[in-house]
Amino acid sequence: MRHRDRVAMALAREEPDRCPMQISFTPEFADRLRADMVARGLLGTSSGELNVARGGEHNPHGGGNTYELERAIDSDLILTSVGWANNYYAGHGTYTDEWGVTWQEHPYQTRFGTGHYTEMVGFPLAEDSAIDSYVPPDPSRPELYLDSERVIREYGDEYWIVGVTVTTIFETAWALRGYERLLMDLVMNPELADRILEIPFRYHLAAAEKLTSMGVDMIWTGDDIGSQKGMLFAPATWRRFLKPRMAELVRRVKAINPDVKVAYHTDGDVRDVIPELIEIGIDILNPVQPACMDPAELKRNYGDRLLFWGSIDEQKTLPFGTPDDMRAEICRRVATIGAGGGLILGPTHHVQLDTPPENFWAMIDTIRETHYS
Amino acid sequence: MADLAALTAAVEAGNRADAVALTQAAIDDGTEPTEILDAMTTAMTEIGRRFACNDGVYVPEMLISAHAMKAGSELLEPLLVAGGHKPEYTAVIGTVQGDLHDIGKNLVGMMLKGANFAIVDLGTNVSPQAFADATKEHGAAIVGISALLTTTMVGMKDAVAALRAVDPKAKILVGGAPVTDEFAAEIGADGFAKDAATAANVAQELLAAAK
Repeated sequence: MRHRDRVAMALAREEPDRCPMQISFTPEFADRLRADMVARGLLGTSSGELNVARGGEHNPHGGGNTYELERAIDSDLILTSVGWANNYYAGHGTYTDEWGVTWQEHPYQTRFGTGHYTEMVGFPLAEDSAIDSYVPPDPSRPELYLDSERVIREYGDEYWIVGVTVTTIFETAWALRGYERLLMDLVMNPELADRILEIPFRYHLAAAEKLTSMGVDMIWTGDDIGSQKGMLFAPATWRRFLKPRMAELVRRVKAINPDVKVAYHTDGDVRDVIPELIEIGIDILNPVQPACMDPAELKRNYGDRLLFWGSIDEQKTLPFGTPDDMRAEICRRVATIGAGGGLILGPTHHVQLDTPPENFWAMIDTIRETHYS
Repeated sequence: MADLAALTAAVEAGNRADAVALTQAAIDDGTEPTEILDAMTTAMTEIGRRFACNDGVYVPEMLISAHAMKAGSELLEPLLVAGGHKPEYTAVIGTVQGDLHDIGKNLVGMMLKGANFAIVDLGTNVSPQAFADATKEHGAAIVGISALLTTTMVGMKDAVAALRAVDPKAKILVGGAPVTDEFAAEIGADGFAKDAATAANVAQELLAAAK
C-alpha cells in the first residue's frame, strides 16, 4: 500500500493495513538515530546530510530535509515548511531571523549526550511604537517554495505531503512582541494586538494558499493556545482574535482545493473550543496531548466530525517509560482514538534527545506491526 | 475613609490606574499600610481561585491583576519598610538549569507575591548551587523550581540535593508541564504544584504544616 493511500484511507475513516504515522525529531536525536540506523544496517553508510541547508542538520518542521530518516522509519507523511517556524534550530550561538526575532542557542544535558534548543531572546515589536515602521518578510518570494516543489515532485506520488505553516498567528506574533506582553495586549490593548496578529497571519495565509495551489495534500496550521489546565486565554479572547482569522485561512485554502485537509496544531487542553474548530472547517486536531486530554474521550465525543494526529505521550512514556509501556500505549491508541480509522499516530512533539532508543523503536515497530483486523 | 473594597475590586479587575489612585487615597487618609496590602492580597487570592477553576481568569487576566497590584504596592513599599513591616516568609524561585522558559515561574512569583511572600527571582537556567546560595543568603522558607521540559526537569534532582545540603528546613516546591507529584516525591521535593495559583496555596500549606 502506498503511504499516501494509507493516510487517505485513515482520513476517510476507513481502516488501512495499519495506522499511518508521522514522526519528527530534534536535530541531535536525528543524528543519533542516523548513527543507530547505520550501525544496524538500516541505512547505508554512504547516506548524506539530513538537510540540504543548515549545515546538514535535521529540521524538525521539515523544510530542506532529505527525508532519509523519515522514509527509512516508514513514515507516511512528508513535511515541507514555509514560515516563521523554520527559524527554530536554524543556527548556533546567537542569531537574528528575517522577522527581526533574536534567538540564542541553549545547551542541555541528557544521558544520551548534549542537545540544544534555540530560544527567543529579542523581540522586534517589544516597544509599542515599533510596529509603525516594521516591515515583515515577503511571503511571495519564489525561492521560499523551491524546496516544497522538490518535495512534491520527488515524494508526492508515494507520500502524503503536508504544507507546514504552523505558528500561524499567535505564536509568531508573540515572538515579535514578547509572550507576556502580547498576552496582556489581548485584554488591555486589543487594537495593537490585532495589528501585531495580522502580520504573521497574512504571511502564513499567503504561504498556505501557495502551498495548496502547488498541490500539497494537507495544510498544517495552528498555534499553542492551551495549557495543561485549559486555555491560555479565555475562549472569548480566542473567538475575538484567532477564530475569525483561522476560519478565513480554512476558507481560502479550501477555495483553492476543496479536497485539501487542514490540520490544526495546539498543545494543551483545548476542549473548550474544539466544537468551534470543527465549525470553522478544521479537519484534524494535532497533537492531542494525552497528559491533559483523554484521546478516547475525544474520539467518542468528536470522532464523527474530527480526525486526529498525534496522541503518543512524550512527557512520560517516550522519555521515561519502558518498551512495554510504549507498546501498550500504541495498542491502546489504535483501539480507541484510532478505532475505525481517523487517526495518524505520532508523538506530541519532536522526539527529544532524552528518548531511549529502545522506546523509540518500540514505538515505530509497534505502529508498523499493529494491523487493523 | 479609604475604600479598600474598591481597591480589592480594582486589583481583581486588573485596573492599574484605579489600583494606584485608591492605594494613594488610602495612604493619604492614614489607613494602615498593612491593611491596604491586605486588600490587594485578598484580590490576588480570589484571582488565584478563579484561575485554578477557569472562572473567567486566564493567563492575561492574571498578569494584568499582578501588574495592578505591583503598581499599588510600589507606593506602599516605603511605608511598609519604614514601619518595620516585612513579609513573614521569603521565597526563592527560578527555572531549572538548562531551561529558559519563564512564564510559569513568573506567574508563580506573582501569586506568591500576591500572598505576601518576599520574592527572590533567580530567573531562568539556574544552577543547583545558585538555588542553594540564594536560599542560604535570604533565609528562604520556600524554594520554587520550575521546568518546562522533560530534558531539563531531571536536573531538579540536583537542585534539591544542593538545597538540602545548605538548608534541610527550606520547603522545596516543584512544578512545570512535565512535572508530576510522583516525580516530586521521587526527587525528594516537599511539594508539587500543578499551576501557578496552586503553588501559592501549596507553599502556605507546607509552611503551616511545619509550624
